[in-house]
Amino acid sequence: MATLLEAKTLTKRYGQTLALESVDFQVQEGITGLLGPNGAGKSTAIKLFLGLLKPTSGTAEVLGEMPYESLGVRARLGYMPEHDCLPTAITASEFLTHMVQVSGIPPSQARTRSADILRHVGLEEERYRPIGQYSTGMKQRVKLAQSLAHDPVVVLLDEPTAGLDPGGREEMLRLIRRTGHEFGISIVLSSHLMGDVESTCDRIIVLEGGHVTEEGAVAQFTRETETLLIDVDSDREELITALANRGVTAVIDGVSLAIQLDNEEHYDAIRDSLVETNARLRRMSPRRHQLTDIFRSGPR
Amino acid sequence: MTQPAGELFDLGYQHYDGPREGRMRARKAVFIDGFKTTLGLGRGPGAKVLPFLLFAAAMAPAVIMAIVASIVNDLVDLPGHDDYYEVVSVVLLIFSATIAPELLCPDRRNGVISLYLVRPLSITDYLGARWLAFFAITLLLVYSGQMVLLAGLVLSAADPLDYLKDNWLDIPRILAAGFLVAAFITTLPLAVSAFTDRRAFAAAFVIGLFVISGAAGGILTGCDEGRDGGPNQQCEPITGDAAKWLGLVSVGRVSTNVNDMIFDVEDEGRGSQLTAELPGGGIVPIGWYIILTGGLAFTLWWRYQRITA
Repeated sequence: MATLLEAKTLTKRYGQTLALESVDFQVQEGITGLLGPNGAGKSTAIKLFLGLLKPTSGTAEVLGEMPYESLGVRARLGYMPEHDCLPTAITASEFLTHMVQVSGIPPSQARTRSADILRHVGLEEERYRPIGQYSTGMKQRVKLAQSLAHDPVVVLLDEPTAGLDPGGREEMLRLIRRTGHEFGISIVLSSHLMGDVESTCDRIIVLEGGHVTEEGAVAQFTRETETLLIDVDSDREELITALANRGVTAVIDGVSLAIQLDNEEHYDAIRDSLVETNARLRRMSPRRHQLTDIFRSGPR
Repeated sequence: MTQPAGELFDLGYQHYDGPREGRMRARKAVFIDGFKTTLGLGRGPGAKVLPFLLFAAAMAPAVIMAIVASIVNDLVDLPGHDDYYEVVSVVLLIFSATIAPELLCPDRRNGVISLYLVRPLSITDYLGARWLAFFAITLLLVYSGQMVLLAGLVLSAADPLDYLKDNWLDIPRILAAGFLVAAFITTLPLAVSAFTDRRAFAAAFVIGLFVISGAAGGILTGCDEGRDGGPNQQCEPITGDAAKWLGLVSVGRVSTNVNDMIFDVEDEGRGSQLTAELPGGGIVPIGWYIILTGGLAFTLWWRYQRITA
């Protein structure tokens, strides 16, 4: 599998603040999630790969070139920023046609590409209306479209679901999956939401405090964080003891008991313990995977 | 029931394998977009009103001057090519102050600038293309007026060919002075626009600068009524060499001073006469024009080097 982006001992310092410290990682074809809390260095990494920033030391290579030195390689990159980046007075069709040309594609082909990509993201007749009249979801789709319209090799999406309602979010993630798997355009998706990454990405790179703390296939992470949460109204200590007698470790996690599920038989042990202690069960659910789970485990 | 004539197939996503023209295509695209933005093309009807009204207002004096020239006889001292830029300077100022910021301010306010910064062109390419787009429009504007006036003067002359033979020097003068006027009124509002993302603030600042510097220069040197009524009697005008230097204060006169030098105007009533008398035989107003225009262009460039997405 070809390496698209590569960070080699990449360091970025803003004055006294160290945003990235001697980071090494590679991004291959497919959909890669760049996960981390605010201030982890995700945006800095993306900006270094886009050539918007120069590394303090080390290199950020895109397709073997340095985007802050070579303007040419930027023609093969796409970028969807987290913040607003759309004009209001012109139509999506006009805007995309223009941006495709700014990416180096001649006007005749630019118009066709812009129409095609707007159709792919689900904007048909609306594309002839000024962008200022669009809903947040439609604007987000135009933002995605402009990052794809010049047919890049890899696109960097910075928090693409920010500000979307649940329906819009699911639609955006579906489009991203389709782009990655059907269009064959590789994607780097930065997010602080485990759910987004879990349902969309093939691989994951976790950044925390300017370091890569985790890296690997998404399936590996979801397996490792399978935790069951149990809320009971009765005595929790009694239940913990009953579980321990059956070889199941439960730890107090806020108002709940968190149980690491190592195998299917744990469910039987939990059922039997609840019956034995006559516990009044209020809630039993898998933990919603959160980024903090990964961070809590720390670097390995 | 009729059978459908054909079927539509979704071919799915198509990769692009056509030409990629890189930086030059990017520059052209930004230039053309700037040109269209200036004239409100591709925008709603509201965006076209102001540029076309101002364009018409800048052309009107040329048309009137040409008509007057064709009606009255040659004995009357009519305003000519040398006066044109001075006559339309207020309209040119309003045109550039209100329209030029539209080329830079919205891109920063809406965040579109981040999308330009990651494409295959440098920020200097972007600025250069935007500058050239507005420069092309202003050049078109100033030359059109002069050409209409020239046509009027030639056609109203008793012998058009003789008129052209006698006044051929006007043509290079029109071209040179128009170029310099356009360069200045392009650079100033764009440089101001680099400091605010609000078009109205930039426009107000540029117009304010013209008005205040013009009034200050006029009051201090007593030339504010120079053309018609002689020195302003309400104040004690500064005279002598100091007045000549103060003649440089008015931003509105920066390019018209140079215009008057190109046309070799020797009219005591003109504000430019003061600066023309400065030592060095005209080097001062020309130098001042170069320093100011160059300084503004550098400021614009320098400001954009600090922009991050």
